[in-house]
Amino acid sequence: MMSQPILLIEDNPDDVALTLRALKKNNILNQVTVASDGAEALELLLADGPLPGLILLDLKLPKVDGLEVLRRVRANERTQIIPVVVLTSSKLDEDVIASYRNGANAYVRKPVKFSDFVEAISTLGVFWLLLNEAVPD
Amino acid sequence: MGGVVVAQPSLADSEGAGDVTQSEQFSMIVSSSDDAIVGKTVDGVITCLNPAAERMYGYQAAELIGQPMSVLCPPDRAGEVKEYLAKIGRGEHVSHHETVRRRKDGTTFPVEITVSPIRDIGGRLIGVSSITRDTTDLEKSRSDSALSRRYEDLERANRNLEMFTYSVSHDLRAPLRALSGFSAALLEEYREVLGEDGRGYAERIQAASDQMAKLIDDMLQISRISRAELDLHQVDLGAEAAEIVQRLRRDEPGRHVDFIIQRPVQVRADPALIRTVLQNLLDNAWKFTSRQDDASIEFGTKLTVDGSVCCYVSDNGAGFDPAYADKLFTPFQRLHTIREFPGTGVGLASVRQIVERHGGHTWAEGAVSLGATFYFTLNAEETA
Repeated sequence: MMSQPILLIEDNPDDVALTLRALKKNNILNQVTVASDGAEALELLLADGPLPGLILLDLKLPKVDGLEVLRRVRANERTQIIPVVVLTSSKLDEDVIASYRNGANAYVRKPVKFSDFVEAISTLGVFWLLLNEAVPD
Repeated sequence: MGGVVVAQPSLADSEGAGDVTQSEQFSMIVSSSDDAIVGKTVDGVITCLNPAAERMYGYQAAELIGQPMSVLCPPDRAGEVKEYLAKIGRGEHVSHHETVRRRKDGTTFPVEITVSPIRDIGGRLIGVSSITRDTTDLEKSRSDSALSRRYEDLERANRNLEMFTYSVSHDLRAPLRALSGFSAALLEEYREVLGEDGRGYAERIQAASDQMAKLIDDMLQISRISRAELDLHQVDLGAEAAEIVQRLRRDEPGRHVDFIIQRPVQVRADPALIRTVLQNLLDNAWKFTSRQDDASIEFGTKLTVDGSVCCYVSDNGAGFDPAYADKLFTPFQRLHTIREFPGTGVGLASVRQIVERHGGHTWAEGAVSLGATFYFTLNAEETA
């Protein structure tokens, strides 16, 4: 089981609160760090501190957008192995393709209905935290 | 040929242009001009014309001399000649007037006309001359550049639409998620505090935000259809319909509905889009027969009045008031309350849009409680 913290990169405080709530409802107890824009996320990731085991990344972010964050994460030797799940409102083909092209491991469109949202987070949690072999420490 | 006769040999035989008199030279300029030059009396009777005028109007000079100028005008412009003459009579000018003229064979063409007075030495008006330029090519290049401008405008509008689609898909969903999520949180964590009324209100917020999310998704789907490239293939609509029916039966095994599906129905269409058409029409038929004990739904083809083939989906369900037959295809237009029959009112709008993309038409027949029939034609061969 993956025990490292999760990094949630999300600018909308409502979505942050809902994601945290959905994680809690699914008994996912990993520590969650929140970065509210792309620049803050890169600062956290490119510093020497401990790295997250999973990144949940919104695409439309202030300052540095999600795709750029993804590119920089993949370009850096330390961070390039971290699984990145794009978690966004958009389901534009261009966004999906650009995300995969830049090295996203998964692309999930945030459902509007909260019960669906909770279910999506639960599925993500089961897969990335339990089923999937995490990157060794 | 030529009302203006020029002594060509005198130029060829002479040792230089210097031997040609000024009036001969002038006459040569007139006869070699590409513009039609016509002389006429003050009453507008043609007296002479140059070769370009013969070519332009398709007449021999002899056919025109002695005729009123109006023979060169289309009937709706016949009055112009009089106007020109009146202006010249008043000492005014007619220059670079854009109008239309008529050839001998009846065809018309755009021109630019300049009309000038001819005066004798004493200044008395003795005639009128006109110089006419055929502006067909000019008009064409004008309309070509207008066309390319419109194309650019259209491209820009499409790009804006895509940007709009993006922001709709992204920006509108976020606040909806908050409405749905936090009303769910209220219901879960403050159930007792809220009381029965409060819980009812929170549930309404949830239902409304979910409904709006569906509307936004449907709106996005419509915009995607209008931009999608058609990928035409041979499709058996009968087989597609049968597959959709299987799924409907599987999803609601409790219902008993008689289906009559004509097979095969071979058409040329975009498979994914035409499937959406059948899906929407059969979903509707299924939905609107849900209160029918002896429900029956049919997919088939018939001949239309003009001899072409059209497809139809008919049912014996709730039907509709024929007064609203055409409104059915308008986006977000619904004839039933959500409580009676759920839906967003986008299904038939997508159907019409897809069918029209294929060069076809849609229409509906029906009556309240007597079922409905939805027709569509496809014409993809011609439009592909």
